[in-house]
Order: sequence, then structure tokens, then C-alpha cells
Amino acid sequence: MDTKAPMPAERLLDLEDVHVHFPMREGLVKAVNGVTYHVDKGEVLGIVGESGSGKSITARAIMRLLPRNAQAAGGRIRLRPRTGEEFELSALERNSRAVRQVRGNHIGMIFQEPMTALSPVHTIGDQICRTIQLHMGLDKRAARARAADLLARVRMPRPQQMLDNYPHQLSGGMRQRAMIALAISCNPSLLIADEPTTALDVTTEAQILDLLRELQAESGMAIVFITHNFGVVADIADRVAVMYLGRIVETASVDDIFYAPKHPYTRALLNSIPRLGVDQGRRLPTIPGMVPDPFSVPAGCAFNPRCTHAVAGVCDVETPPQRQFANGQSARCHFADTFAEAAHA
Amino acid sequence: MLDRANMPAMDDDTLISVRNLKKYFPIHAGWLRRQIGEVRAIDDVSLDIRKGETFGLVGESGSGKSTVARLMLRAYTLTDGSILFRRGSGEVVDISRLSERQMREMRREMQMIFQDPYSSLNPRMNLLELVGEPLVIHGVGSRGEIRDRVAELLRVVGLRPEFILRYPHAFSGGQRQRIGIARALALNPSFIAADEAVSALDVSVAAQNINLLQDLQEQFGLTYLFITHDLGMVEHIANRIGVMYLGRLMEIADTKALFSKPLHPYTEALMGSVPQPDPRGNRTRKRIKITGEIANPANPPTGCTFHPRCPYAQERCRTEVPALRPVAGRQVRCHFAEDLNLSGVAA
Repeated sequence: MDTKAPMPAERLLDLEDVHVHFPMREGLVKAVNGVTYHVDKGEVLGIVGESGSGKSITARAIMRLLPRNAQAAGGRIRLRPRTGEEFELSALERNSRAVRQVRGNHIGMIFQEPMTALSPVHTIGDQICRTIQLHMGLDKRAARARAADLLARVRMPRPQQMLDNYPHQLSGGMRQRAMIALAISCNPSLLIADEPTTALDVTTEAQILDLLRELQAESGMAIVFITHNFGVVADIADRVAVMYLGRIVETASVDDIFYAPKHPYTRALLNSIPRLGVDQGRRLPTIPGMVPDPFSVPAGCAFNPRCTHAVAGVCDVETPPQRQFANGQSARCHFADTFAEAAHA
Repeated sequence: MLDRANMPAMDDDTLISVRNLKKYFPIHAGWLRRQIGEVRAIDDVSLDIRKGETFGLVGESGSGKSTVARLMLRAYTLTDGSILFRRGSGEVVDISRLSERQMREMRREMQMIFQDPYSSLNPRMNLLELVGEPLVIHGVGSRGEIRDRVAELLRVVGLRPEFILRYPHAFSGGQRQRIGIARALALNPSFIAADEAVSALDVSVAAQNINLLQDLQEQFGLTYLFITHDLGMVEHIANRIGVMYLGRLMEIADTKALFSKPLHPYTEALMGSVPQPDPRGNRTRKRIKITGEIANPANPPTGCTFHPRCPYAQERCRTEVPALRPVAGRQVRCHFAEDLNLSGVAA
């Protein structure tokens, strides 16, 4: 593949063979080990995986917000927020002027725990106003008016008064709304949402998911939605990428992931979730073993020791290539084409 | 000898019977820390748990589900109510009236598993000390016997007995949860309260641990109180379910009946809120979601505490507190349980 190929017109974000390594005393951890994915304008890409699969670190690599001991060990990340305006994020320094322009202006980010992401000693209004003033060059009064508008857009009750509240005065759901307001304050073309509903109750989660969908429909921004919850991803994503041990093992439209998964890991994960209103028998199907520790990633396909379809001499030797299918689905499995049947109709 | 005449009454197949349980926490304020009010964390909760069943308790955070479990094990002192427990000997005791010392003896038969496998295990103790601690406290066995018992318990929960001298940091979240389970099993309890026991675990690990809990239940005839906010999980594991809201039980029903047709609007809303791993279903399913947030328990709404969020609320709901009453073979706290036609998640 020509790595210098220009991005297609609908492309917003493009990751090519991204690697992030952590040198540790015990050895080198390849937290992100060759991740390739893209996000088109206005679409919601769901990224699912268990803890340690590298989904959050990949997102941080996009934002150039990697922990200090991380090494960006290769790959290319490109963002094209508008026609004719393209950033090669992978070439930008963590604290460069250019990357700070991208962060607020073109990419907004929301996190799992708004209490740690928001400043506890500044009011919600101050935090939003500062961002707006910095990025949009508005004066104080205009910024405050815009901040109140934003709080209204994220359906906060009494937005004017909320501006003067501190994060600790709000409930978890309201804090998450405040953080969303902050993230969309400069009309980014991409929102990265890292487990934004994981700490919330199901009722609040449903409200936040509805809100994100509405905001996305209004503004046309794209969303990268990171979660470990397959229910949430089924609800919000247009396309889904499944990660395991630093790699994307399968990418497909949301319907294909759920009704025609081609990677054994995706199939096994989907089978192990208890579903409402479905009797799955007394025992849940499980995946044998556990996620290997990051210092001893198995050779060949990283999933092979836990895979019920693994073939000795193939899966434990050769790293499977990305297999591309006509419907846009792709899976990193030697035998992906044999799993054409749906796991559950 | 058992004094059957003076024993509190309870059905033979019931292990625990909670009656009119109340827990009010005082609110102090001001320079003198005077009490200015109270939080009704648990208000009039009654439920029966049958021998060998899994009773699920669901609800949003702040609904009081964990407090109920803690009250049942007397980790909190209760404000009012009674908790009848049938001991292994057949004797029925009212736990709420026991002294601290008598209660310690009872805890051999009642144990708890916690959500966070990281903070609930002392990092300075190895598995022998952690799992053996209940045995030491209750003076069960010599050092050699305790070691053998711990090794056996580790095997029972699927951990290698060779790990007996290792410390918790050497284990993954799912394995730590198993250490907590082994510790809970040490004294052969009949009742285990599992408070969000798999909520912190990854999907594949949660499924393994749920299967383990079910195997142990079968093997040792355990009775579970299973507290969770994960409706899919509770539907899988529980025989009967209680739905809590703001310190009160809103509905108690058999799992199948509850999910195929909820009778309380809050139950319907909870089910409607859960996104399913089924994109087509999510697009077509009629989903009743609720607006707003759980009310402040220090200042609960009048009438039915759910009325400000209830899509079916009427004038009567604002003024009159509904009682938990039997409707169609289950218990519901709603004035209009018979009239509403609510949608569940039937298969």
C-alpha cells in the first residue's frame, strides 16, 4: 500500500500503522501495535475492546496526549477538518502551537470521569469561557453568552445559573453534560469520547447517548466512541472496530459486527454477554483463559491460545494479515472467510 | 434444644425474611453539628429470600441496594425493622436484635463479596492470610488445617493452590475477585451477598466469574443476594428480582415475569434505558426512557417518590404514597399497576 496516498474526499481522520510503546523494566510493552483505522466526516466509529487492548492509548495518540513515558514508535495520523486543510498529527510535538490549535478547534475530547477531567477549583462557566476566548478570540461577555448557549444545547437545566457552579455541585450526568459542552465549544469536526457513559447509571447513560446523537445530527461532527460495552456501541455507532492486545482485529458496519462477525474474538465476546429477554441457558459461554500480560504477547495471532478455532502451525506462527471483504468488513484472522455465517441471527 | 414456640414465624423454605427495614442517616450541620434532618436511605423495605435461590436487587446508584445488603449483615445498625435468618441448625433468629458478639457468630453463615477487587483485599497479606483470616478469627483448626483448607478453597474457585504465598498484586482483577469469593466461602456460609461482584470486570472475565458463582451455588447449596445495576446480568443469574428506587422497593417479581411484563413504570424505564447488543433491535424496539435524575433522598418528592420522572403520573401520585401490594402474584408499589400496560423485553 502506498503510504503517501492522499485521503479520499469523505475522510476526516486516518490512522496508518500506528505504534505506541512503553519501555518498562520488565520489557517493552507494545500497547498499540500497528493500528489502522479511519473516520469519515459525520460518522460514529465505535471502538470496543477489553481493558488493556489499547483503545484509549490510540485515542491519546491522536490527541498527542500520550503519557510521558510513552514512545510514539511509528505510523501516521492525519486529520482533514476542512477541504484544503490537513494536519499530520503524528508529526506534531506534544505541546506545539499547532497541536494546541487542533485540540480544542478541530478535535474535542470527553472522558469517563468528568470529575477528574474538569478543574475542581474553577466554575463550569470559567472553564468553558477560557476555552472559547482562547480559541475563538471572543471577549468576556460574548464568551459567557456562548457558554450559556452551549449549556442549553447540552440540555442543562438553568444554564445561566449553572455557569457559576463548580463541578462538585453537579451530579455525574450533569458533569458529563458540562464536559460535552466544553468539548464542543469550538465546533470541532471530531469528538473523541473515551468511555463517557461507563461511570453513569443506565438511565443517565441513555440520556447522554441521546444527547450525543442529537448534537451529532445538528452539527455533523464525527465521533470516535470508545467503550467496552457492546450494548452502547450497538446503540450509537455506524461502524465498529474491535481491538485486542494493541491491534484492530475486526472492522465492519455495526450490523455486520453484530450479525455477521468474522473474527473468532468478536464472536466469542458477543456470545459471553447476557442479553435482556434472551435465555442463554444456565452457563454463559466464555472465552477460555485470560488476556495475556503485555510482556508476553503470544506469537502469531495474539488471540490463538484462547481461540477455539486455532490451527497449530498456522495461528501460533504467522501473524494474520488484514483480510478485506467486499462489504467493507475486514478481519485479522487466517480463517476469516470461513466464518461467513452469522453468530446469531 | 430449639424452642420452636418462641421462634419468630417464617415460611419453611425461606432463608431470610426482611420486614419493614428502615435506615435513616442523620444530617448534621452548623457549628454545633446539630442534627437538622435525616436521609431516609432505606424506607420500609420488606423481602423474603428463599433457600437456594438468587435474589437480584437492581436500581440506580443511590437507590439503597448496597445499604440493604449491609444492613442484612449488620455492617450498619438499622433504624427499625427486623431481619429473620434461618440458621443451619434450623433455628430462626432475628438478627436485628443480636448483640455485636452474637452477630460475629452469625457471620459464619452470612458473608459478602465486594465490587472492587483492588481495594477490598489487604495488599500486605498473602492468599494464605487473606483466605485464612476468617478461619483464624473464628478459631477454626490448627495452622496446618487452615493451610489445607485455604489450598482447597483456592482450588474450588479455580486458582492454583501453589499461589498460596503470593500477594494480591500478582493477580488480575478477575482472579482477585475469586480470592474474595474464596474468603467468603471459608466458613461454609449458607448466604452470600454479592455487591456488584462482577461489575468492575471485563466482559469475558465477568462471564467466567458468573459461571463460577453459579457452580458454587449448586455445589454448596448457597443462597445469593445479587446486587447489580446490570440488568442483563441479573436476568441471567437471578430467580427473583427486587427493583429499588430511592430507598424503597418498587416491584418484586419472578425474573421471567418481570422482564416479559413489568408492572411498575420505573422497571419499564430501567429496561428501556439499557442499550442492547442488537443494533436492529435498538432501532425498532419501543424504548421508554426517563428524564431527569434520581431525587435527593434528604428531600424526597411527596406521594410516590418516582412521580416527577414517571410518564404516567397523575394527581393521585403527587399526594398519596402508594403501598407495596400484591398484584398478579407479585408485589408492586404503584397506584395504577393494574391499569398500565407496560412493555418489557420479551424474547
